[in-house]
Amino acid sequence: MATVLEETGIWAKELLLNGCQAVAQGVKLADVDVIAAYPIRPYTEVMDALSRIIADGELDSEYIVADSEHSQFEIVKHASSVGARAFAGSSGTGWMYGFEALVVTATDRLSPLFLVGNRALDDPGAFGVEHNDALALRDMGWLLCWASSAQEALEHVLIGYRIAEDNRVRMPMALAMDGAFLTHSQHMVKLPTQEAVRRFLPPYDLGDRRLHPDNPVSIAPQVNEDWVMELRRQNWEAARRAKGVVAQAYKEYNAIFGSRYTSPYFEEFMIEDAEVALIGLGAVCMPARTAVRRLREKGKKVAYVNLRWFRPFPTEELRAVLGRMKAVGVIDRDFAHGSPDSGGIVVHDIRSCLYPLKNRPAIANFICGLGGRDISIDDCIRMFEVTTEAPNRAAGDELVTWVGLRE
Amino acid sequence: MIKRVEVNYRGIFQKNLGKYIGSDIVMIASRMGKVAFSNGRYSDSPERNGIPCKYFAFVSPDLGEEELEAECGAKLDIDEADVSVVLDDTMVKGVEPWGWHGVRPINEKVREKGCLLVFSRHSHDELVEHIGKKPFPYRLATVEGDASLAGLWVNKDDLTRERCLGAIAAVDPGIISIEAVEAYLLDKTKEGHRARAAREAYDATLRRIKLVAPGQGIDWPHKIPVLPKWHEFQEGGVVVPAVKRGFELGPRGQTRNDMFKRGTTKTHRPVVRFDLCIKCTLCWLDCPDECFDPTDDGLYDVDYEVCVGCHKCAAVCPIPECIVMVDELKFKDDSSPWEAHKRNPVEYIKWAEEKKGKERLNYPYVTGTGYEVTEGQTVPPKLATGAKP
Repeated sequence: MATVLEETGIWAKELLLNGCQAVAQGVKLADVDVIAAYPIRPYTEVMDALSRIIADGELDSEYIVADSEHSQFEIVKHASSVGARAFAGSSGTGWMYGFEALVVTATDRLSPLFLVGNRALDDPGAFGVEHNDALALRDMGWLLCWASSAQEALEHVLIGYRIAEDNRVRMPMALAMDGAFLTHSQHMVKLPTQEAVRRFLPPYDLGDRRLHPDNPVSIAPQVNEDWVMELRRQNWEAARRAKGVVAQAYKEYNAIFGSRYTSPYFEEFMIEDAEVALIGLGAVCMPARTAVRRLREKGKKVAYVNLRWFRPFPTEELRAVLGRMKAVGVIDRDFAHGSPDSGGIVVHDIRSCLYPLKNRPAIANFICGLGGRDISIDDCIRMFEVTTEAPNRAAGDELVTWVGLRE
Repeated sequence: MIKRVEVNYRGIFQKNLGKYIGSDIVMIASRMGKVAFSNGRYSDSPERNGIPCKYFAFVSPDLGEEELEAECGAKLDIDEADVSVVLDDTMVKGVEPWGWHGVRPINEKVREKGCLLVFSRHSHDELVEHIGKKPFPYRLATVEGDASLAGLWVNKDDLTRERCLGAIAAVDPGIISIEAVEAYLLDKTKEGHRARAAREAYDATLRRIKLVAPGQGIDWPHKIPVLPKWHEFQEGGVVVPAVKRGFELGPRGQTRNDMFKRGTTKTHRPVVRFDLCIKCTLCWLDCPDECFDPTDDGLYDVDYEVCVGCHKCAAVCPIPECIVMVDELKFKDDSSPWEAHKRNPVEYIKWAEEKKGKERLNYPYVTGTGYEVTEGQTVPPKLATGAKP
């Protein structure tokens, strides 16, 4: 296998890696300059793997163990401002603890990449996956995307830096990955060659914004009220430009590495003639797509959309695909207590995205898999059944169904 | 069809070992043209000393990768196992990996005609005396040897990994074949002794498989908790009733968290010679888990349900042979040793000396580097029978 891969010049080798180790390999291939670490499960194994890679002499990088997530994120923010490619990561409440640093990284328009090993927010202290930690970034001017396999996780470290560091974007990037189900599951992962990565990912160049003695500038000084709205407008512009940059990055990734990604923002499964679709983030795609295959065998016209990018949100693209459905079921592995209809976070963006359509599909929302609760194939089949019935729902019926709850 | 392997290991000491075995199964099955993947159960931290944890490997000859993962990968635990490997035989007494789960039988997941594969020097009959009964027949196989215990970053290269692969091939060739195990180890390491270790374990294990009949084993003594429905518990997060203030003298006179006792973390337990005790309080004071209960005669009873076998009491006890760590499998229950001592001191001393045996464990200063076994000191003949000096 190894020799065949090497002959392509694109793929160096194939290794059995879990999601955390795959991310670490991505960081190594991206030749990251500064890594700040602070442990919290399930992210911890990423920093473990990176420290080993550095100790083995495979990567020349500053590796700083911080005293908290807050310091960890501040370190990479500052590193990013002097032109260093920087990496950090966290999970759950640790991620939330560093939030002040995360917010300012976006407003400073710096481009470190963060791995979020999704974890339930305490209390109670639980380790399972829940998406609220990463989704808390959604309004902060970040790039936010989910990997749904170890291979995708590795590749999205490269794709992520490419987009985040693009001069038209200059936004920080959060790569989310389901705790346990992806972070600690071992798969065969193909590693690209350093040469191929070099072709895809140019060096990080801040240009005249680089903080350096030869380029004396101040980044983020105090300003008065008369600056903020204009700054926000710039952020908005960057977020809008990011849409095109994301598309271009996948196009070039496909050109170099073979066309694996059919669409940059989400991946449709059996959508062509479908009438009912489920959409969700992360590892739930595995039981969901299996459910689609089983229902298709019975002649049901169902599909699954694996939503990869949440920020920037693929509004027009989703309208084009989901607008054709009779009903759309949104799987939320998160919660938005007190929100309209007490749904999840994702459903509100999907529903508002589809609302302007004349023949908009009926929407169903599912809260499931919280805190790492299993989402089985049967659960997904049930969600398809409920979604199929959504167009017949009477006014006043609940939008939201909790799946897998002890009730 | 899916074959499921569960590898029960002791947190941190065997974390790398468990993971390597899972990875190896995936690699070997892939070389055999099957689809496979491996993951770990994510409950309490596998970084904590002695915590019972699990790694899984799933193998299918006919399913696609995604289908296999959808069936198995999206779950925290498995419903049933074709092979449950036990890398440390003291776990046959049951495992309590996390709060609110109770102490679960080690063969809980073993399916009908499946196999419980234990690294042990004990006989099948001795092991079955600790294991819960099942309504259907299953197989029990042993690989002769001690638990291989290493540390956080290291894997003790003592061929346990290779022997385990050979033994799995012996009990269920539908998962991996011994020929594939040998070829993989040779290709990977170019070291013949690794393949030979697997083959020897394979041959030996084939001779050490016994059928356990339905109903053979013990009535499970531990209650398995039923988790409440969402409207059945108090609002405001998970609330555990407080430990009551003060305590009573005597066995279990202190109240402790009933939901997570952690006793299955231990591989050894302290045996106390109450007649040698000088009442210095050090065991009670230094025990990190507060498992010593003061008694009305100034002694300290041990609550073995909460003892994690950390060895601290034996280390701080100033009297030779008063507290000695003994293999957990020598004990059938967690009853109070102090009560036994009160009932019949002479019998108790005889019992304690018999349990202590001649071997003593010497722990190194670096956690996780394993312990040394040496010949124990001899207790003076008079003391050994309980007579006052």
